[in-house]
Amino acid sequence: MQSNQRLHSMDNLRALAMLAGVFFHAALAYSPIAQAFFPTADRSNSAWVDLPIWFLHLFRMPLFFVVAGFFTALQVQRKGIGGMLRSRWVRVGIPFLLFLPIVHMAISADTLHAARTVAHPSPLLGFIRDLLAMGPLPSMPPGTGHLWFLYYLLLFCVLTWVARALGPGGLMARLAAVPPLWLLVGMPLIVLPSLAAMPVPHPAPESLLPQFWAIGYFGAFFLLGAVIQQHPLLIERMQRHVVWLLPASLVLYATFVWILDGSGRVATLSAGHLFLAFLEATISVWMTVACVALGRMLLERSNRVMRYLAGASYWIYLAHLPVLLAIQYRLMDLPWHWSAKLALSIVATLALCVLAFELLVQRTVLRRLVGTSRHDNSPEGLVGFAPP
Amino acid sequence: MNRFDINVPLVKLLVAKDWQLFEKQLALYVAGGIVALCLLGMAQRWSFYVGSLVLIIVLVSTACFAISNSLIVERKERTLAFVMSLPVTPMDFHVAKLIGNLVTFGVPFLIIAGGAIAVVLLTPLPDGLVVYGLLIFGYIFLAYCVSLSIATVVESEGWNTFAMISSMVLINPFMMVLGQIPSIADNISRDAVVWTTPAVAILAVQVVVGIGVLAYTTIAHCRKPTFY
Repeated sequence: MQSNQRLHSMDNLRALAMLAGVFFHAALAYSPIAQAFFPTADRSNSAWVDLPIWFLHLFRMPLFFVVAGFFTALQVQRKGIGGMLRSRWVRVGIPFLLFLPIVHMAISADTLHAARTVAHPSPLLGFIRDLLAMGPLPSMPPGTGHLWFLYYLLLFCVLTWVARALGPGGLMARLAAVPPLWLLVGMPLIVLPSLAAMPVPHPAPESLLPQFWAIGYFGAFFLLGAVIQQHPLLIERMQRHVVWLLPASLVLYATFVWILDGSGRVATLSAGHLFLAFLEATISVWMTVACVALGRMLLERSNRVMRYLAGASYWIYLAHLPVLLAIQYRLMDLPWHWSAKLALSIVATLALCVLAFELLVQRTVLRRLVGTSRHDNSPEGLVGFAPP
Repeated sequence: MNRFDINVPLVKLLVAKDWQLFEKQLALYVAGGIVALCLLGMAQRWSFYVGSLVLIIVLVSTACFAISNSLIVERKERTLAFVMSLPVTPMDFHVAKLIGNLVTFGVPFLIIAGGAIAVVLLTPLPDGLVVYGLLIFGYIFLAYCVSLSIATVVESEGWNTFAMISSMVLINPFMMVLGQIPSIADNISRDAVVWTTPAVAILAVQVVVGIGVLAYTTIAHCRKPTFY
């Protein structure tokens, strides 16, 4: 990797993945599958919402981890392992500890308010309302919420140090030398046990304790990102496979939906579950690789809007969920079509987050933690610090 | 020159030297700690027992490893003779060893102890285990401080090995003794953190004696005009 080369494709991929995250969380409110567990689940919903979001769910976070692995390896290359760990502590550890209670309190307060005031509550809000009627709410075990990505990013940074201290030299080169086709076949098999241990679709690992499956699943993508950074030719060799990766993934996803629809609930550890996990693993790997390869082919140019969004993406990632839920709670009683509510909630969330980014982050001390320099032209670029 | 004066840059270099020498083993212990926390995170009875056991093994191994490699092996391999050729006072050397050991043992110790307490508080496990757990961690802390002090003061490898192994192995009788104290044992299965007088007294003794032993060793070293 040339030291003076700007990584526009990674900036752009991160911005797109962040936008996909806001869309995903907003759309959960209108997904029939998420009705039982999502607090803003709306009475206006459609099975059409499920089709894109669960497809997105299979490669959105893996893509983030590839980007994170890429920049972690770049930081190790530029600053050494100690420099990387110090930088990650400032840009990931401190924001995680700072924002976790704030986000938790904001979501809890708004959810309790909604449980008392919304006329058409979701099943979860209705349950909370029933509990409130019986007395004080039982305390819930605290988790990482949607900030679980930061938690695992910190963990993977520590494991990067462990791997460098213990790992055999030349491991990256050996991995990069694996023919792309072998990687595309072998990597799904590597992440399969992790996904097979979880229900379909897999949940977010929000526990405060690390989970084996999440380390195995997301760690594989983090490692892939690090290998790509060390050996950029790998992704160029994968570009020739893009032409079939996307249609093949769509076919697999159609099979996934068909099986899920046909059999209803699939018991964990059954053969059907294993096959669904295999489909999930394959789609995850193929679509993530396709996104990175397509990014290198199509997004390797500077775009002001995307660059701004990439810079703001860390803040938007931190702040979007409480803002989004606050907006969607207020939309629940409106007799609007789900598509109007979805569009409004996405636009309003992004607008408020960007406004807050300008007012609360870029002009304050928070810029050092979760913002970005306006004049940053380093190769690590806007995403060098801590891609969420 | 005051005997309490410390050559800070050199102490940093000595600590960095120990860190670089022991990095591989420390990485292994950190990996073991993460595996143990993952096992605890599975929220199964068997994984809780295995995870707890791995945590204790990792802590005891880290403690013994830090002491034996940074002090005992260094003496055995005559590395100390080289260190003595540097512009280092016995106090500089002692402070460097103390800091190096406290970092190599203290950081994993605090992370693992904090993680274990978090597991108890955040899972359906009875919160009464917090007191019991803290007393066990307190014991490991005390055993570590005693072993480190003995390794600093006593040069005999045999005595050091005896001190390390006996103090760490005594954790089993200590756990059994705790189980025989009704005001501690009876509260383990309760879903509340209950600090009784015996529990507070034991923990206080562990902390005060541990810090006291290290402080005494440090003061004894200040008075030494030479390494031997």
